[in-house]
Amino acid sequence: MHMTSPTDHPARATARRPADVVMRLARMGAAHPTRLSFLRVLMRRVQSEGWRFDRPLWEIDAQGVGRAVYRARGPSRTYSLVAFAHDLPDDMRSDRVIATAWDATFTLFDGTPTSADLARLSANVPLQEAGRVSGSELSLSRANRSVRLWQHVVGRLASGRQPDRAEIDAVGYLMRTTAVYGSGKFGAADRVDIAERPELAAPFQVEMLTVWLIRQFTVDMVEHMAAMRGGPGAARLSSENRRRLGVGNSTGLGMAPFIVRHPVLLNNWMMAREEALARVRSLRDASPDAVAALLDAWRAARDNAANWRSEHPLQVEKLRDLRGDLGRIGDRLEEFPGASAAPWDDLWRWGETALTLEGQEQLFALMLEPHGALVDGLSHCMDADETAAFRLDGAMTCGDLRAILETTYDWALAIDFSRPETMARFWYVSEEKLEPRLGDRQSDDGAEREQPLCIARLAHDLHDALSGSAATATVAEFLLRAPEHRFMVRRAQAAARHPYAEVRDNLIDEKMLPIDLMRCKLALFGASHFDPRSDKWVRISLFRGAPYPLDPLDPAP
Amino acid sequence: MRKRPAHASGRTGPAPRAAPDEAALSGSEIEALCAKAARGAGMAWGLAEEAGFAAAWLAARGVDGPRALADHLAWAEGRRWQEICPTVSPGAWKAPGGGVLCPVALGATLCDFCTLPDAALDEDDGLGVGPVSRPVMLLPFLAAMAERLGHAITLSWPGGRLVVATSGGMAGALPALAGLARAPLTLSRSADPAGAEPVATRQDVSRDTIDRLDALALKTTVPSSASSRADAGAGGSDND
Repeated sequence: MHMTSPTDHPARATARRPADVVMRLARMGAAHPTRLSFLRVLMRRVQSEGWRFDRPLWEIDAQGVGRAVYRARGPSRTYSLVAFAHDLPDDMRSDRVIATAWDATFTLFDGTPTSADLARLSANVPLQEAGRVSGSELSLSRANRSVRLWQHVVGRLASGRQPDRAEIDAVGYLMRTTAVYGSGKFGAADRVDIAERPELAAPFQVEMLTVWLIRQFTVDMVEHMAAMRGGPGAARLSSENRRRLGVGNSTGLGMAPFIVRHPVLLNNWMMAREEALARVRSLRDASPDAVAALLDAWRAARDNAANWRSEHPLQVEKLRDLRGDLGRIGDRLEEFPGASAAPWDDLWRWGETALTLEGQEQLFALMLEPHGALVDGLSHCMDADETAAFRLDGAMTCGDLRAILETTYDWALAIDFSRPETMARFWYVSEEKLEPRLGDRQSDDGAEREQPLCIARLAHDLHDALSGSAATATVAEFLLRAPEHRFMVRRAQAAARHPYAEVRDNLIDEKMLPIDLMRCKLALFGASHFDPRSDKWVRISLFRGAPYPLDPLDPAP
Repeated sequence: MRKRPAHASGRTGPAPRAAPDEAALSGSEIEALCAKAARGAGMAWGLAEEAGFAAAWLAARGVDGPRALADHLAWAEGRRWQEICPTVSPGAWKAPGGGVLCPVALGATLCDFCTLPDAALDEDDGLGVGPVSRPVMLLPFLAAMAERLGHAITLSWPGGRLVVATSGGMAGALPALAGLARAPLTLSRSADPAGAEPVATRQDVSRDTIDRLDALALKTTVPSSASSRADAGAGGSDND
């Protein structure tokens, strides 16, 4: 990646936080969305380039069954969300990957679909994993209704009234996606085929555009159903109620392995964030505009924390921390910037001692908010050429490889894997619709089919194996004798050049929480209202408070 | 792809179609399926990744890499690594006991050694390797070597030859090579050929190949149980 080095940015004086601080599960599990989140990157582009949106097709019947097309036209290309609305019996509604039917199914089409395209898609998209899409499609997705809020909103609008604000805030979305597949899944276009388009170069822009258009579909659908039931007296959602509705997402373990399987990508995401923080901390003054923007961001975060609901004990505790910390941050901002020669760095250092991890990572997001001109360009560094890291350096000596392990993986070598709790679990893929799962090594079958996500242990084993090789022997010779270490050698060589490539915790420990991995990734997407339903399952909200595609353009957020 | 579940459709969904004779898999699907199949056949994870890379590289160039891999794995499954991995020495790489080499193990090892003296490729004598199972599988690795070394590589076998350019383009008897089940090979340094451009016409994968790879990939997964199914989900109902 092209990242400014510590000396060549004019404002640069503060180092990035070290990976030992950043890449710990407890801190990753406290991540908040920032202006570098992928959703924000999409919104900035759509607004700065003046994308135009329309809905050329709406064929939904009184039962809410049919299809619709939403079109997004950028400066050089058009993308269309093709939506299929279904009449799903309650007993089939499941957010799990093992589900076989949904309230609505979607694909993002590359261009404007013809009627032949729509016919082909209507025979496949509703089947999701059991159907096939083609290189003309960029994503495949589905969503389920929030039954309670959907019924409430349809009922109220049908009788000419607005829904209850409290009901809206308690759920926050009308539908939640349960998968948004991209990157070549089920026959869709490969990432490599679209990555050079400027509008899709940043990570997950296809998925973010898909979900943003789905948000429009959810409010259009609920108003349609209300009009079908209530006739001419039916109301439409007030703009304030619309604004408060995002799109939900419900996800399980399938999301967690991704950031472990893509170490260079993870590095680039985290390095861009850390570089942004370091740039802001290096600033020598705080303009009145920046102070005002910081206070605005703080107020928005306080409101966000106030209407962030969860019943999970872990999240309840985190929300208590966050709300308390936001109070402390508010107090501290009353004296900001003061007379400091380095006001932003002082603020950050104060936060490191005064705040919990929740508050620190929230402060991170707040401090970036006034500084778009300084940090937004870093979103161009968040993609990764993973093929460049694929080829091993066979000429490296075993001594040098050992040295990498002893510096970059010192956290892994420090784990005593003779203690059963350090390898209490194993990651595997279930035969059932290939759902990723996490097993208990003592009591569950299948540990011999463990996935290589136990990075700490693999690093540990590699280090042990290298002790049998001369320091001057080459890695090529070593791997010829010990091919089982090839996977970890590849990672270690990449991690030596990419400091934020590894999650620096034991991913098979008894106490490991998969939701920490998921929260980090979801925050990078731009998700809010993280609401765990177990230690392996979570719901979140996307685009809450954002404009809608079919609305007149607002100023960039 | 695998085990398409019986479609318990919602009231409005279409019925699933019968599986066609071939499928237009995306590059990432080919890579993932082939890596899983290689792992299922017993390859170490890091080599299974190489197998996925190689099959997808070939498929993106109109060569049926998935089928070549499936054929190779059918032969190699259950054989010990030491039997099918090369013994490295300057001028000649053979399998111990003169057996047949795994093209993925050989290709990955060639890439690992490509800047070291043991893999030196002369223009005259070259490096003798093999015999090699499904030698077409070696091409993606030779392309990576050519790029790394900055010169083209000629692959010769009894009755044919093919040049892999630094661009990844190929010139020579590709169809003949793709049809070889096994052959002794010679690798030598050569000049970039004229007219060797990468072609980008992905080939569909036959149902038979997909089924064979799926059967191997299935060996990387764990049969479901009621407790494993329950443990992976949320605590409550999704009808809230």
